[in-house]
Amino acid sequence: MEKASVSLQVNGATCEAQATLYDTLLTVLRDQLLFTSAKRGCNQGVCGACTVLADGVPVRACLSLALDCEGRRIETVEGLSANPRMQALQRSFIRRGAFQCAFCTPGMLISAYALLGSDRPVNEADVRKSLSGNLCRCTGYKKIIEAVLETAGDRRSGR
Amino acid sequence: MSDKAGLFRPDSLSEALHLLATVPDSRPLAGGASLIAMINARIVEPAALVSVTQIAELRGIRVSPSGEIVIGASTRHRDIAEETRLSGTLAVVPDAAGQIASATIRNMGTIGGSIAHADPGLDFPPALVAAGAVVEVASTAGRRRIPIVEFFVDWYATALSPGEIVVAVHLPKPKPGVGLYLKHRRVAGDFAIVSIALSRALDGETHIAVGGCGPTPVASAEADRILSCSTSGAALAQAGEVLTALADPVDDVRGTAEYRRLLIPRMLRRAMFDAAAKSAA
Repeated sequence: MEKASVSLQVNGATCEAQATLYDTLLTVLRDQLLFTSAKRGCNQGVCGACTVLADGVPVRACLSLALDCEGRRIETVEGLSANPRMQALQRSFIRRGAFQCAFCTPGMLISAYALLGSDRPVNEADVRKSLSGNLCRCTGYKKIIEAVLETAGDRRSGR
Repeated sequence: MSDKAGLFRPDSLSEALHLLATVPDSRPLAGGASLIAMINARIVEPAALVSVTQIAELRGIRVSPSGEIVIGASTRHRDIAEETRLSGTLAVVPDAAGQIASATIRNMGTIGGSIAHADPGLDFPPALVAAGAVVEVASTAGRRRIPIVEFFVDWYATALSPGEIVVAVHLPKPKPGVGLYLKHRRVAGDFAIVSIALSRALDGETHIAVGGCGPTPVASAEADRILSCSTSGAALAQAGEVLTALADPVDDVRGTAEYRRLLIPRMLRRAMFDAAAKSAA
């Protein structure tokens, strides 16, 4: 298939890539730009392992065409690694052992990061709802939910 | 306008319609929640895509001078779920929007894309039937309005002609009352096995549509009339029988046709009880 040049804003930098009509944002992020935190699980928008932020909102990278993302601000876990909110989540995930194989973790972190983006109080039902589009086949979710709630609690108590 | 490897991103509706009419094997692309999944699986392989999400006039919700609510075709599910003007009898629409797939999909998917895809397991079709929606569509030949019950034709088939796209969904002025969407599913984020969309005005006027039980939403003027007159146990049973007789469910991975038929009257009863509780609250 014919390829076209596309200029993407990823993690604060302008990245040049080549994409066909059918190449998704996920394919370009992983295979050309080497931002491999976003994972290819189902490639159908069901599993949530490819979740990234587009203009600050979680989207499925596997359901976004790379060529259609020009002009949008894309962020992955790599780009948020110095962000205090993301670091707090990562520390809670480690402390709580919120993963086994960890394939789903980047998607979980992005969804949780978006949930904790406002100052609104967050309860367990909010966490479950926000993470319901992210499948984990190892943990049974309990420790992931605990980790996100722990981060939410720390945020509110100012730790 | 020029494309990039087959992708067009027009910023006006007239330009988009011209492209869809003239570019061979082109399809409109909105949020991507269904179409890109189908392309990834190579179920469809269009030669060109016309992205419509840059078009400002297709976005957002407005209230007309007569009180009608107009939802632009590329309005995201999330924005519809949070829309407080969709109240009273129209609350069925945001209630359904908030139960579509997962939060991330609701950030992407659009109402126009959803109904044009016309998957019978989707949540908007029954909700919009219960709400009495009219679909506004456009092509280079002009615009027309299609009542929602005529819009859905068959499995994955709508009244849209080639080159025609959904531009807006029109909803009547909301009446005081309740609207709700009861969805029975295996796990969070899944399609409905059976769903009941309910809209009931304070004066008793009731509209019901059943999702997941055939090629198009199941609705019946007779069932609506029965429930508008009475909510007795006998009336609920009678309306449930009418709707079950009209349903044409299939056996699939989510449940058998027989299971779905058994659910319809039971879920109808629960939806009516929930509506009564909501009115009392």
